[in-house]
Amino acid sequence: MSGRLTLAAFRRSASWTGLRARVGDGIRRGVVSLPVVLVYGVGALTFIKVGQPSRHVEFWLILGGGVLVAAWTVLVLVSLLRRRPRGHGAQLLDRHHQLHGRLSNALEFSEIPAEQQSPLMRVAISDALERVQKLSPRGAAPFPIPRELGIVALLTAGLVAVALLEVRVQRYVPPPPNNFKPMVMTGDDLELFKDLATEMQNQGDDPETLAAVRRFNQLIEDISQRRLERREVFQRLANLERDLTKAGEAEREASEEGLEGLAHELEKADLSKPVADALKEKRLADAEKAMQELAEKLKNKRQPPSKAQLERLRKSLERASKASSERSQSLLEQKEELEKEKKRLLDKKKKGEELSKSEQKKLDQLDRQLERLDREKQKSERAQKQMSELDKKLAEAAQDLMKAQQGAGASAEDLQSAAEDLNRMAKKEMTEQQKQELLKRLQEMREILRQQGAGGQKRMQRMMRFGQRARGQGQPGGDPGGQQGEGQGQGEGQEGQGQGQGQGQGQVMPMLVPGQGGGQIPMAGEGSGQGQGQGQGQGKDGDQPGGGGLGGGKQWGNGHDDKLAGDGTQLKAQTKDVVAAGVDTGEGNASSEVIYGAAQRGFVGRGYQKVYTDYQTVAERVMNQDEIPPGYRFYVRRYFQLIRPRE
Amino acid sequence: MDETERAQKSVERFQKQVGVLREEIGRVIVGNRGVVDGVLTCMLAGSHALLEGVPGLGKTMLVRTLAEAVGLDFSRIQFTPDLMPADIIGTTVIEETATGSQRFEFRKGPVFANIVLADEVNRATPKTQSALLEAMQEHRVTVGTKTYQIEEPYFVMATQNPLEMEGTYPLPEAQLDRFFFKLQVPFPTREELHTIIDRTTTAHHVEVKPVVSRSDILEMQEIVRSVPVARSIQDYAIRVLEATHPDHSEATERVRRFVRTGASPRGAQAMLLASKIRALLEGRFAPSIDDVRTVSVPALRHRILLNFEGEAEGISADAVIDEILQEIPESKA
Repeated sequence: MSGRLTLAAFRRSASWTGLRARVGDGIRRGVVSLPVVLVYGVGALTFIKVGQPSRHVEFWLILGGGVLVAAWTVLVLVSLLRRRPRGHGAQLLDRHHQLHGRLSNALEFSEIPAEQQSPLMRVAISDALERVQKLSPRGAAPFPIPRELGIVALLTAGLVAVALLEVRVQRYVPPPPNNFKPMVMTGDDLELFKDLATEMQNQGDDPETLAAVRRFNQLIEDISQRRLERREVFQRLANLERDLTKAGEAEREASEEGLEGLAHELEKADLSKPVADALKEKRLADAEKAMQELAEKLKNKRQPPSKAQLERLRKSLERASKASSERSQSLLEQKEELEKEKKRLLDKKKKGEELSKSEQKKLDQLDRQLERLDREKQKSERAQKQMSELDKKLAEAAQDLMKAQQGAGASAEDLQSAAEDLNRMAKKEMTEQQKQELLKRLQEMREILRQQGAGGQKRMQRMMRFGQRARGQGQPGGDPGGQQGEGQGQGEGQEGQGQGQGQGQGQVMPMLVPGQGGGQIPMAGEGSGQGQGQGQGQGKDGDQPGGGGLGGGKQWGNGHDDKLAGDGTQLKAQTKDVVAAGVDTGEGNASSEVIYGAAQRGFVGRGYQKVYTDYQTVAERVMNQDEIPPGYRFYVRRYFQLIRPRE
Repeated sequence: MDETERAQKSVERFQKQVGVLREEIGRVIVGNRGVVDGVLTCMLAGSHALLEGVPGLGKTMLVRTLAEAVGLDFSRIQFTPDLMPADIIGTTVIEETATGSQRFEFRKGPVFANIVLADEVNRATPKTQSALLEAMQEHRVTVGTKTYQIEEPYFVMATQNPLEMEGTYPLPEAQLDRFFFKLQVPFPTREELHTIIDRTTTAHHVEVKPVVSRSDILEMQEIVRSVPVARSIQDYAIRVLEATHPDHSEATERVRRFVRTGASPRGAQAMLLASKIRALLEGRFAPSIDDVRTVSVPALRHRILLNFEGEAEGISADAVIDEILQEIPESKA
């Protein structure tokens, strides 16, 4: 009985057939349900490619596809993993090999214990073993080729085609946003700053100042050409300010300190007191003059100074000449002492000894003191350097005074030299003033730019209109928005009365603008308003009809003279043409008339220029003398800038 | 010879005897192989058959031939509307003895034969039809206080005309349930008709000889009972039976809509016994699912009672069973 299968082989084949059936079922279900997923995929992909839906819709379409794919996967997995009935494989084999249940019956009977098997059961098993020669799980459970496979292939090809298809959709691609917003200044302001720069350039002879003015000019030019953004403008302004400030400040401080020390010593002598006073107040020109006068005094042989006066002068000159060097020396000594103390404490610490709390505190204090002394020493050295020439002259003057018991001529010469030094320093001071002036202009400009930025486009337009009108190019009768007022007037005729009323309402929106001091200053902002006027007039037996008062009645009177018809025109009267040419004598209208005229026609004309100069001079003087908050100072200056005479 | 070999031999003998029997019947009955096998199946199962068909299709001839072939007592009852139960069971008569005394004596009716042909059973009233109930189920008859055992093998074969015909009474459900199979006798084909006419209109006469004895029949019935059934096959038969009940979870759509009452457990018994016989007839030693599927229609068709809607729709029990067989999986996890 070679080649006869055993029950174990039956079981293996049945098991394998069952597995194949399970896989086949998975394939069948998978292929049958796949068209749904593919149809969705083709539809969704086509819609995404052609319809160009929003990101949101695209997300949901993709999510829907994902859900379908997941559901399909679950379906296939369930088909693969679903528990099959026992003996399912054997039944498939029975059917395939037309065994009429022999195999499945034999397998089932064989599982019954032998003692419980009936004779016919054993016969049935033997019969199966005898009849079954070959089992083919592949034939019994073939992997199916569902009809839907063609559809699946077609849809898959479609999906791939759609995926590869490049749909050219004309889509509007917005141009890259042009974020360049140039800084804009009104032509009027640009002209103002250009004029100021030209003025400073003409006045200055210091190369450093001139370079700064050139940079300022370039900045103005760039702004007028609209080459710079707001941030860049402020950056360049800040750089310019910093450069100007950095260069001068340390020198100025040192110089001031040196002159102060000098004044302190010189005021101890009667003769040099005027020099000391002038130096104290930093009036270097006056100090030079006083020094010259002192030199003259010393030269004066008719009324020479007393010996005591000379001695006091000598001593004070000597001390003054040494003041800055002595101070430096003193600072150096102090520093050395402190360093010694610090070294001692640090050595102690280095040896591992623990510093007491007070010692540690002292060490910290020493550090701070040393730092301060360093700064002061540097300042003192700078002062010494600045004052070196003057000190030298003063020292020489003192020595000459000591020698010149017979006469102070040499000393006077030395003092004259010292006066020249002071003159030199004064000149330098002048340069400093120019720098300060330039700085001030820079700050003004920055403030104007800042305000323009805060005011927006409307403010800019308003300022441009203002600039035009300031030059007399605007329309004087333009709409003065926001006028309000109430007027009442009486026009008196002989027997007539006129009454006019004007009423208006307006709103002025207050605006807070940043001030120089960091505070905010309320300023008049934009205004809008409505006005209406009424006028009434009555005339009775008057020669002239009643009229409304100033700013009042636009209505005519309703009265009339009893004598309606006047005298006839005297046609026979003698007439003569006269031509009168006006002569400008400079003695024209009063200031108020000039100002009123300027407000109507623009800030032009010689009359206005004169009035402006008067007012501005007073304003400057008041600002220099009185205490005015820095923020307001700016606005006063700005006001005068705006109403300055135009050519 | 061991038990297994003996069993094998007995099965072989069974197959041989059935073959002889088929051949003998086939000498008289033309065609109708399915009906012949069905009738034989019912007899070998020790149960009864109900044949349905229009008159003249050879139903009575088939039963008579079978009775002659097996060499058993045969009686025929022609059911008519006026037939009384006593006409079937028998009656008690006064009989005078040789001594001249009189006594009551029970005269057995036709039901006491080994093979009973209840011809046109649905022409009798239900009361008379019910007279067969005890005989068919218990193989005994109770008259008065006395019970008479019917000799084995006992096989009732009833024929009925289609219910649509006039003068018929539908068989009670209990009566129907006692029939193992309900076999429908089809109209013969043209070839079969030629043969039938040739045999019946000429001088040709076939003498049927008894080829199987009573003891053979009993032995064959024993063999049928000893055929093993795998649990999965039995499970399938039960699931098919359950599916005929409209309120069962396995019920199909048609069953839910058109069936009033499903088959009783006798239906499952009939399916499995018939499957065993079919397996044996085909030379196998255990039935398969295909056997169950094949026998389920004749075994269940008379046990499934359609509701009014089913009747109105013209749905047949066979169609309902076909649907069940299609939908019920052969095996279940």
